[in-house]
Amino acid sequence: MRGKDVRLEDVVMRFGDFTAVQKTSLKINAGEFFSVLGPSGCGKTTILRMVSGFIEPTEGSVFIGEDNMRGLGPARRPTALIFQNLALFPLMSNWENVAFGLEARGIDRKTRRNRAFELLALVGLQGHEEKTPAELSGGQKQRVAIARALAVEPAVLLLDEPLSALDLKLRQYMRAELKEIQRKTGVTFIFITHDQGEALTMSDRIAVMKAGVVEQVDTVDNIYANPKTPFVATFVGENNVLQGKVAQADKEYAVVETSQGPLRGLNQDGLSAGETAMLFVRPERTVLVNGVIPDNSFEAHFERRDLEGAYVNLFFKTDAGPFIVHEANRGRHGDLAGAAKVGFNAGDAIVMRPGEVDNE
Amino acid sequence: MNELIRSYGKGLTAVFVTLTAFWLLILIILPQAFMLEHSLWIIDRDDQLGMKIDRAYSDLGLMEYDLNSKEGDEKTALQEEVDSLKATIAELEAQETDPPTVYGLQNYTKMSSLHFTIFVKSIVYALMVTVLALIVCYPIAFTIAKLATPQRAALLLLGLIIPYAINELLRVYAWLMILDYQGVVNSFLAWLGLVSFENKSWVPFLEYSGSVFVALIYAYVLFMIFPIYNTVDTLDKNQLEASRDLGASTFRTHWRVVIPHAKPGIAVGCIMTFMLSVGSYSVPQIMTRGKSGDWFSQLIYRQFFESQNWNVGAAYSFSLVLVCLGFILIMMKVFKVGIRDIAK
Repeated sequence: MRGKDVRLEDVVMRFGDFTAVQKTSLKINAGEFFSVLGPSGCGKTTILRMVSGFIEPTEGSVFIGEDNMRGLGPARRPTALIFQNLALFPLMSNWENVAFGLEARGIDRKTRRNRAFELLALVGLQGHEEKTPAELSGGQKQRVAIARALAVEPAVLLLDEPLSALDLKLRQYMRAELKEIQRKTGVTFIFITHDQGEALTMSDRIAVMKAGVVEQVDTVDNIYANPKTPFVATFVGENNVLQGKVAQADKEYAVVETSQGPLRGLNQDGLSAGETAMLFVRPERTVLVNGVIPDNSFEAHFERRDLEGAYVNLFFKTDAGPFIVHEANRGRHGDLAGAAKVGFNAGDAIVMRPGEVDNE
Repeated sequence: MNELIRSYGKGLTAVFVTLTAFWLLILIILPQAFMLEHSLWIIDRDDQLGMKIDRAYSDLGLMEYDLNSKEGDEKTALQEEVDSLKATIAELEAQETDPPTVYGLQNYTKMSSLHFTIFVKSIVYALMVTVLALIVCYPIAFTIAKLATPQRAALLLLGLIIPYAINELLRVYAWLMILDYQGVVNSFLAWLGLVSFENKSWVPFLEYSGSVFVALIYAYVLFMIFPIYNTVDTLDKNQLEASRDLGASTFRTHWRVVIPHAKPGIAVGCIMTFMLSVGSYSVPQIMTRGKSGDWFSQLIYRQFFESQNWNVGAAYSFSLVLVCLGFILIMMKVFKVGIRDIAK
């Protein structure tokens, strides 16, 4: 098995008057674990269905490797899809499920049975071959679905939120498992999810989508550290948002006049004085001011703290909205009350042109 | 039971139970038992009985006439003869109105070879109707359940149901008009110049069993479509897409994914269609107008209402019931569905 690259060239998808995907170009490298991340209804599943061949883009083309996929149905594309609900065939045994793609290719029963047993062994399901999917646990079903998809030796494996039905522990385990299978097989994985944690832990690169538009395509590190839009900044991970007007700006930094006073951050969008702006700073980059005074600091009203074990989230109220400080638990937050001084360094904050943020 | 009492109270529960018992006993068990009992006895009646009674009556008339002209001892002797003849007549009449019944299986075993041929032919025809109906209805049911948009599916279902608001006989007569010698189809053929009414070169559709098949399929289409539609409708659409995505052809998707899922519906549809067509009286009666041989249902009708032989009629109908039961069991076995799946 060898992965192939996938290219979307100026692809547009409309359903009647509704544009599900605005003009998009995207290149997914061969053998890459690529995630498409976005809230429900953002068009990520539409992208997946265009690649798998269930729908044809209204405009533009999908290429897999060198081949234009226009006019090819899902049966004739080198892709395999893992459905959100897995869509295992309940009336077939597990090995028959896995062998179904081979059966469709006219491979004789003995060969496909052997191949199915091999694949089930690969995903750690020896001894479950003759059972039906209903007799398996959620995680085991997941693996049958993976084995079934891999049986047809796809160049591209498409995964439509397959982990969303699992409980947290299993989900975390399956993340590692999927990553491992991807590494072993070298198949290109395109993973659709609305769970940013899932996307961040597994992917090489991520495309973040909102309302039919790809907002940013980048490596996981860059998506998290250098979000390009307010939506990406707030949808991927947590971010404190402070709004205001740019008071002064140079190439590198901008100072934003907020209700908490002037705050300095990286001038990512090249704003100039007088423009409205949003300043983003991750909770883990903020501190309770204690001795060393960071570049920016202001008074905020302490509301409550959430203990996460190794970490604590401290919630503050400011005139600009809520402000969260995420700190290592050093056992010194119990006596916080009333006003406290919080702050962050200018290099950890990003100033952007205002835009829609994720409100969840 | 306790559950029912808790939910509905004693009064309502009693009503439910009574109604169910009434339904089962009066409407199902009793008629069947009556039929079975009738089919199992034969009337051991003297063929000459009627003649004997007639002859006795005429003798009696003569004797009574003679009685007036006789005197004394002769008269008493004749009177005795008259009395004994009257007693014989009473006895014969009793035999006629209440003949002795003998139980046995003769009604089942002595079916004539012609009747047996019709019996087998009807079963084969009903099986053919069932298979044809399945072939016609499965694609329709699948289309409505999975391919049509919800609005269109509703419209299609409505279109299927509306004809059923019309009396079955009218629907059959409609087919009669279509397939008759000078019916719609032949008129169309005549318009094309293929047949001519003048020299009676029309296609005699009604003389073929096929016309009965068509009308039967049309009459019982819904009983096939709805059970299949109901089961196919519950099939997860992703299963179809998964099958396609794995490279399966349309045929394989149906054979391996849709049909196994729809099995209970197909079994129920086949059972209903088979039972209704094997027992249908009006459709073969109207469609053939006696021109292409009786169906077994017509034979049963004749036994009851033309030969006045209820016992044989009962035996014939009970044979049909047994065939239907056998068919149900075979379907359950073939489709590996339980009685619970069918009840669903």
